[in-house]
Amino acid sequence: MLKLFTITAALMLTFLLLSTAFAVSKKQPAKIKPDTSKVQVKIFNAQAIAKFKADKDFKYNGNSPDRISVWEVFWNWLWNAISNFFNRIPFGGTIVKYFFLALAAALLIFVIFKSLGIDAIRILRGEAQKINVPYSESLENIHEINFDDEIEKAAAQHNYRLAVRLQYLKCLKQLSDNNLIHWQIDKTNAAYLYELKDPEQKHIFGLLTRQFEYAWYGNFLIDKQAFTSINELFQNFKNRLP
Amino acid sequence: MEDELFEQRTDLSKLNTAVEQIKATIAKIIVGQHSSIDLLIAGILADGHILIEGVPGVAKTLTAKLIAKSIEAKYSRIQFTPDLMPSDILGTSVFNPKTADFEFKHGPIFGNIILIDEINRAPAKTQSALFEVMEERQLTIDGKTYKMEEPFTVLATQNPVEHEGTYRLPEAQLDRFIFKIEIQYPSLDEEIAIITRQHQHKTTDQLKDITPVLSGGEIVALRQQVLGLHVDEKLLIYVAKIIHETRNNKSLYLGGSPRASLAIVNSAKAIAAIKGRDFITPDDVIYVAAPVLRHRIMLTPEKEMEGVTPDDVIAQLIQKIEVPR
Repeated sequence: MLKLFTITAALMLTFLLLSTAFAVSKKQPAKIKPDTSKVQVKIFNAQAIAKFKADKDFKYNGNSPDRISVWEVFWNWLWNAISNFFNRIPFGGTIVKYFFLALAAALLIFVIFKSLGIDAIRILRGEAQKINVPYSESLENIHEINFDDEIEKAAAQHNYRLAVRLQYLKCLKQLSDNNLIHWQIDKTNAAYLYELKDPEQKHIFGLLTRQFEYAWYGNFLIDKQAFTSINELFQNFKNRLP
Repeated sequence: MEDELFEQRTDLSKLNTAVEQIKATIAKIIVGQHSSIDLLIAGILADGHILIEGVPGVAKTLTAKLIAKSIEAKYSRIQFTPDLMPSDILGTSVFNPKTADFEFKHGPIFGNIILIDEINRAPAKTQSALFEVMEERQLTIDGKTYKMEEPFTVLATQNPVEHEGTYRLPEAQLDRFIFKIEIQYPSLDEEIAIITRQHQHKTTDQLKDITPVLSGGEIVALRQQVLGLHVDEKLLIYVAKIIHETRNNKSLYLGGSPRASLAIVNSAKAIAAIKGRDFITPDDVIYVAAPVLRHRIMLTPEKEMEGVTPDDVIAQLIQKIEVPR
């Protein structure tokens, strides 16, 4: 068995050596071709080189800033002072780094909010945006109006709607002065009507309220004749007050 | 005297007669609840959907059914349950073997007066199916848009959200209801009247004798009349100020939307019409402010914990605003 293995191995080795030798013997020697292409020699522009050589920016050996302005001196001093101060504190450099990063972030957020018109302080406080609603006929203090003059003026200008309104406000003032109603800006006419206790006063004031509401909220047209009738009703009511 | 001075610009006699007839019909069965019934009628006249809230047993559904029966129009009732699907409400496409094509089968939402009972028993997925139809009066399914027939009004009932098995309605849906009417317990006298009237009823169907007093077409005509009423500019500003105050009030997490402003104006018009006027007054605005706003605003958690109610906040903020006069 060992003999057979030895013979087989010897045969295989012989075959391998013979095949390699045969392959090597068949290979042709390499031929080197001469390079015959034309080479164009490029020459640097002498003028350009001279210009670059003359430029001080390209002179690297031993160059230092010629002059430092006072402003630069100040900033150098400031940064050195800050740097020295923080270097004395443990982790001072890290604090400075994060401080300026936070400052830059805050500045960026501020610029974005400003450009978008957002009020950051209001948002932080959790408040909604306040808008002033225009209201031309904001309530006057009825205790400060000279009603007789104003009513006369409105009637003279044929503004009977306004005259009825002023008559009604005058009526409310009279009721308030007589402590029959408690004047408050948020109360409606129905609330004042409810406050009146005397049935007769209540009835006439109810009629006056209707006239006022038709004229003022209903935008009904009032002529001189209608105004005279309403005026009489107001005078009648005034006479019944204590 | 006022009749001599100011001749009515709008003939509201038909509207007032109809309102009185509806009230009389409801009063045959319902005891009390006058303010709620006024608001229900006003909501319908203002072309709005109405949410009725109350504890079980205060006749929410019965009131809504009576209103629906008073109007001669197509009536649908949908009982909301936790397993209800959007297609159960809206409808779905079904394959027809004869035509070999899909056909849309209309759901119960296709009607004029839709009563949704216990609306907050269904989860948000089902609620959101109503968004388009309630606001735009149309449905888009499978790329096709179906317009609702006028009048289209949803009357929904719900138990208070604290009750077992209920979900809070999405804000977007709540905003689509013109009013949230809260039905309170009856007074002692009303309770006695209810028992006296009901204890010998032999039939369960109390509504069989109810006859309609208005047609759907008449409702549409009355709505147009109501929406055309006069609103003075001062009152528009007054409404805007109220709504604006809800957005700036520290007790509120969520204020009223522009839809709420419109709801106040339109419902105040309906109230004015019911009272026989063709213009609104500050009293009309204040009357509708709470039912329009109470379901739209949201209290801050602190105020909720303090036991403050939306109605308290609405009353407070109205006090801050001067009445235009």
